[in-house]
Amino acid sequence: MLGGVQALSDVSLHVERGEFVFLTGPSGAGKTTLLRVLYGDLKPSCGAATVAGVDLMRLKSSGLPELRRKVAVVFQDFKVLAERSVFENISIALEVRGVPPASIDRRVRAVIRALDLEERSYALCRELSGGEQQRVAIARSMVVNPELILADEPTGNLDADLSRHLIELFKQFNTYGTTIIMATHNREVLSWAPEARQVHLVRGQVTLPTAEIVATVDPMSSRGRA
Amino acid sequence: MSTGKLMLRGIADMARHPLPQLLTLVTVCMVALLAGTGLLILHNVQQEVLKTQGQARFQIYWSASSNMTAVEGQWADLKRVPGVAEVSTFTPRAAMAELMRGLSAATPAPVRRVDSAAGNAAGNATGDNASAPAPTPAPGLGPDDFSWLEGEDILPPTALVSFDIPPGEAPEPWMGRMYARLRGMDGVERVTYNASQLNLATGWIALIQQAAWPALGFFALVVGLVVGNTLKLMMMARRDEVEILSLVGARPWYIRAPLFANGAVQGFFGSILSLFCLKVLQAWLKGTLDVPPLFLKVQFLPAWQCFMLVLATTCVAGLAAFLAGRK
Repeated sequence: MLGGVQALSDVSLHVERGEFVFLTGPSGAGKTTLLRVLYGDLKPSCGAATVAGVDLMRLKSSGLPELRRKVAVVFQDFKVLAERSVFENISIALEVRGVPPASIDRRVRAVIRALDLEERSYALCRELSGGEQQRVAIARSMVVNPELILADEPTGNLDADLSRHLIELFKQFNTYGTTIIMATHNREVLSWAPEARQVHLVRGQVTLPTAEIVATVDPMSSRGRA
Repeated sequence: MSTGKLMLRGIADMARHPLPQLLTLVTVCMVALLAGTGLLILHNVQQEVLKTQGQARFQIYWSASSNMTAVEGQWADLKRVPGVAEVSTFTPRAAMAELMRGLSAATPAPVRRVDSAAGNAAGNATGDNASAPAPTPAPGLGPDDFSWLEGEDILPPTALVSFDIPPGEAPEPWMGRMYARLRGMDGVERVTYNASQLNLATGWIALIQQAAWPALGFFALVVGLVVGNTLKLMMMARRDEVEILSLVGARPWYIRAPLFANGAVQGFFGSILSLFCLKVLQAWLKGTLDVPPLFLKVQFLPAWQCFMLVLATTCVAGLAAFLAGRK
């Protein structure tokens, strides 16, 4: 339930470690809501949900940092700190985990190099283009080696070339074993990762089941599992 | 990262949002100044009332046969008693002159010794001796001519002593203790005090005390609400940072410690700045109001009130900023 409206219903979904899943559907279908549930921003009103070994139904606010250290999130609007440099934006994810400064420096530089941001390392994020800011956001999520990356329309504000480049980046990290669930309504994006599984949502319900998606039709036994 | 480092980071991060920080500082300063002005008024009213109304007066009568040298020594001792505001003494001769003046308008003005800074003691030293045995008038003098009393030592030495009731003392027990002390002096025959004066003093003190706490509470509430909400609004400028820190798994204290430091620094410097402004205001009022017919000497807040103002503002601002870090 979200603001008195049932945003998701009868969603049953199981994602294996290392999978790449596209969450598709029109605007308002519940893609963002489902992602918010998965990173603990919303609590399901009923059912069961487990992410990276964390039971979301029993998750208390004190346990949220632990979940967020396993699950990284990338947003359409980047969510970077405009008044901080590229390096600071990426290192912040390691600082909160208490990683020693020397290790932070090494790991951040490695990710910056991988994402081709070396020349902009100390530029303020407000001086970057949209594509560069999105790469900073992705770098921030990658640098902590998360078990799961949730991406909510990460290419929504980017042109086709940049979008394709970002999808390649996600695929690259996916090959290293990171699970990725990406929400998008862009069919072109889906074509760039044809090996990824697609889960289609319409009005809060899974309507295009694949072999591993089970949509429960009995409302009395509605359970969501991610 | 240690708490100290987190707080230092919070203070350093203030420079990233200079305009909201500046506006918040000005607001905190203004609110603290408003509360400080209220405290200043309350403090000065209290001082003025205590100066004019919060006194207890004792009339002390020595035995008529007392040795005047010993009595004058006791008068000197009385002036050194803590809390004594004024001592008006009457020798038997002066008391007689006062009596004569009271009985006859034709009699020249007597000499009365007033040992006080103001020198305007009330002249009620004679009323209690009206029952003393009057000598027989000399034959041949008119009914309004009491000059024949001159040279007669029929009245005892007396002293009218005014005390400032010490702050925090309950007036009645204090008066009882002081009465016993005065009554116990050598040669003292009788001590009286004006009960209505005591009641008036007690009433004023009670009124001030009753008014002071609600007023202090009101100022604390104003500071709490306005400073608290201002700080919460200022934290809107840092909400992206709070959101991102939360997203990357920062623990609550990691997020809130810098915010607390930011708020506390705002509260501290805002209140210090307000005290400077208040000092300027007090200096201006002091020069403006200390003229006829007011003669009001506006005093600055005592140190403990300044300290409490700074402490309260700092704590409220820090707490509000800390709470603003909640989701």
